[in-house]
Amino acid sequence: MTEIIEPNAIKPEAIFDAMGAVVTRWTMGAAAASAASFWRAELGDDPVEAELRLLALSSQFLGATVMTEPPSALRVLPDIPALALPIVPETLRPLVRRILAAGKDAASKAELVHFLAARGWTTHPADWMPDASDEDAPDVYAAWRDWAAFAAAGELTPRQSSDQLTQGNWDDFWPAARKAALIGLRRRDPSAARALLEAKFGGENADARLRLLSLLSERLSGDDVAFLEGLVANDRAPKVKALATSMLARLGRGPAAGEDIAELAGFFAVKTKGLLRRSRVVQIETPKTPAQWQRRKALLDGTDLTSFASALGLAPQDLIAAWDWNVDPAADAALIRLISETGTDAQLAQAAGIISEHDATGLIVALAPRLAPAERTRFAAAGLRAHGIGFEMAQLIAGPAARLDDPLSAPAGAKLLAELRRDDAKPSDYAAELHALGLLAAQTAARQALQGLTGAGLLQGDPRLDMLRLNAALDDKGEKP
Amino acid sequence: MAIDLKAVEQLATDQSSLKAAAGLAKPAKWSGVGGSEDGALIWGECAGSGANPYRVMADLRDLGNKCTCPSRKFPCKHVLGLLWLNAESIVPFAPATTPAWVSDWLGRRRGTSAGKPASPAAPAGEKDLRAARATEPEAIEDPKDAARREAQAAKRNEETERAILDALDALEQWIGDQLRLGLSGFIDDATARCRRIAARLVDGKAAVLAGRIDELPARLLALAAGDRARGAAVELGKLVLLARAFRATPRDAEIRRAVATSETRETVLADPQAPRVNGHWEVLAEQVQTRRDGLVSQTTWLLNLTAHGPRFAMLLDFLPASAGRRGSVFTPGERFQAELVFYPSQQPLRALLLRRDAADETLTDEWPAPDGPISDALTRPLLTEPWTIDIPLLLPRGRIARDDAGHAWWRAADDTATLPIAGSVEGLLAGTEVMGAAAIWSGNRLTILAAQTPWGRIAGHD
Repeated sequence: MTEIIEPNAIKPEAIFDAMGAVVTRWTMGAAAASAASFWRAELGDDPVEAELRLLALSSQFLGATVMTEPPSALRVLPDIPALALPIVPETLRPLVRRILAAGKDAASKAELVHFLAARGWTTHPADWMPDASDEDAPDVYAAWRDWAAFAAAGELTPRQSSDQLTQGNWDDFWPAARKAALIGLRRRDPSAARALLEAKFGGENADARLRLLSLLSERLSGDDVAFLEGLVANDRAPKVKALATSMLARLGRGPAAGEDIAELAGFFAVKTKGLLRRSRVVQIETPKTPAQWQRRKALLDGTDLTSFASALGLAPQDLIAAWDWNVDPAADAALIRLISETGTDAQLAQAAGIISEHDATGLIVALAPRLAPAERTRFAAAGLRAHGIGFEMAQLIAGPAARLDDPLSAPAGAKLLAELRRDDAKPSDYAAELHALGLLAAQTAARQALQGLTGAGLLQGDPRLDMLRLNAALDDKGEKP
Repeated sequence: MAIDLKAVEQLATDQSSLKAAAGLAKPAKWSGVGGSEDGALIWGECAGSGANPYRVMADLRDLGNKCTCPSRKFPCKHVLGLLWLNAESIVPFAPATTPAWVSDWLGRRRGTSAGKPASPAAPAGEKDLRAARATEPEAIEDPKDAARREAQAAKRNEETERAILDALDALEQWIGDQLRLGLSGFIDDATARCRRIAARLVDGKAAVLAGRIDELPARLLALAAGDRARGAAVELGKLVLLARAFRATPRDAEIRRAVATSETRETVLADPQAPRVNGHWEVLAEQVQTRRDGLVSQTTWLLNLTAHGPRFAMLLDFLPASAGRRGSVFTPGERFQAELVFYPSQQPLRALLLRRDAADETLTDEWPAPDGPISDALTRPLLTEPWTIDIPLLLPRGRIARDDAGHAWWRAADDTATLPIAGSVEGLLAGTEVMGAAAIWSGNRLTILAAQTPWGRIAGHD
């Protein structure tokens, strides 16, 4: 008796069980119809046709019912946390995205993100998020950096974090949050921050030690000397030692001058000038051979401001005052580097003031990172008004927290307007200048600048005006310096 | 800022451009026409032969212009049409905020010299506006000619059908060979083998099927190594199903679309069976893919926010890769009121955009809820079209999870389904609750197009 199998009677489990054998046979190139005997009637007697029919049937079964099994251990990342500052208004997000997309390198993206943070806003996480290693990101993004680090690390539970960083909970913090907490602590209580670092320093790797040590730049004082001297003497990493040395020099505790310092002094001469009000001037002796140029550069690189000044028989502030600027650009740049790395805050401010007067504004860019935001804004404004620098340079000096009142009325603005009005002006001309103007201006000034520029023939929708448009439309909620 | 028709005439490359532009200088062809407040820029969207309208823009100060159509003529008929509309004030150019796509173009423009109108001294050539505007009387057709042409068309159709059937025979034989030679060998050598049979199918006028087979190796490679034999059996089995369906009903437009060619825009528009749906649409995502046959496919996925009509619409255009990158027509997340006409199908999905109103910020409809259990959504379309590859669906509340190897999975909040994700998921989508998502289920993998989250609507993943 032949058993008749109704198609309805076939159990899915039976098909499922047979599919393993069917696919295995096909994989090896063997006929598979005999492994699916429940479909004998549907497959028919022709062996070639039977394989094709089986393929059509199996395809539906395998495609519709067989799913890839999820592994038992699936890991879910924690929610991306909300930040302390609000996200830019929804209506401005397209503009933010466009500016981010137009800025090709990480530096120009960082510039926008810092601008937003200075105005009291953050990006939407779908538009921009920092990487775990993004040391340039504003501190307000620390929680997102740590989220990214957590996502990459493959840990199962997030570390707990509290507001107060202590020796006891140091390891509970992810690096970016720890950095932000340490900066806060240093501002509130410099000694406590240093004491915490002293206790935890040895357990970190060289790169982390370098980053942590650099946080002590803020509110650096004589109290830090012992710690820094300890690092110079004992730290394993040369770059940490070098940073500690330079910080000591900022405190007037430079290393003892070596024999080289006399050789360096030989490249300079201190003269007096004037009859009634005799003043000193440091005269730069032009090196005579390329070898001498090299030697002078090497010596300048290896010293600090105080040692250099004392080798010339001057106090550091007298050296800065007596320097003959704009004669030897290489020597100017070397002195600026000495000041920015080993000078005190007062010496730095003194140097910035003098070079601002001496029309050597470009050199301020090197000093700017150590200047207070208000000072940076002042020098940028002075550069624009008195020395005819462009907006890009002014923006480098001013940094992300600038709020200049009427930058377009400066000579750079008049020049820009004139260029944009020229008959042969191209639609992509001066994009960087206009972008920098957008970063520099205060909100009201940005609105005025937009009016001025569209009055000069730029279209309202011109993408070169994106940064200005964002600035004009974004309420300024940031801390004013 | 006004231009006159003389300028349009001078700008045209030849008389035929002008003639074509005259045909486009009609309000019915255009939507979203506008101009900047200073009157310098004008823009509009012109219905073309593709699923998407072309975006046309011009700077009236120097007549610089841009159109998203693939024409090699510069300026193309659409630009001339837009200028014509403006010169003769055929439609009002309402002052509006410059759309982002116009600003993007402005930013990419190089010098202005190329766009400057020809100097008045330059000879206007053989171009003449009046001639372009004159409508030629339609030649009265000889009934005999018409009958002959119809007979020729019928014969051509029959020949095409014969060629396709022969090609499908070759395809089935090729599939049988792959089984006999072993799927493991097929998986190792899929690209070359698929290329050969795809070439045979192109010769046999089964161009769409050829394209599908050309992309088959890429879909296989996207699967985990252990899953590829199953994937190959599914892919090849679907080809058998499609070949058999064509043999059973070679005149069925839907099946023909999957094998040979799609109907032209005109045929779809003229078809009373083609459903027309007027609704609120949200642009979910745009997928641009360069295919092995040298075409770039541009797929725009739309979500229907209203209660009637198909839930999803797919606008599909093909461009030659040599035409370069074409600007997107839509911005993901954009919502608008529009009328779509769907290609006739048991499950209408592919569509043409007929008419679209300007983007509307006031359309605040919530995303609709998923239409049923997720297992249904994954398989229902297979009941009528078992050869379907891409199945769009709405996902309920869920979250992205990762396995030890770093592969991403989407897991339903009620734990009823855990589906593997194609590609990787980084950033926000991996670190937030997903209240709902629109996705494509394709080859046993999920591609999320867009998601609703506590952070608002966000884009899917790469």
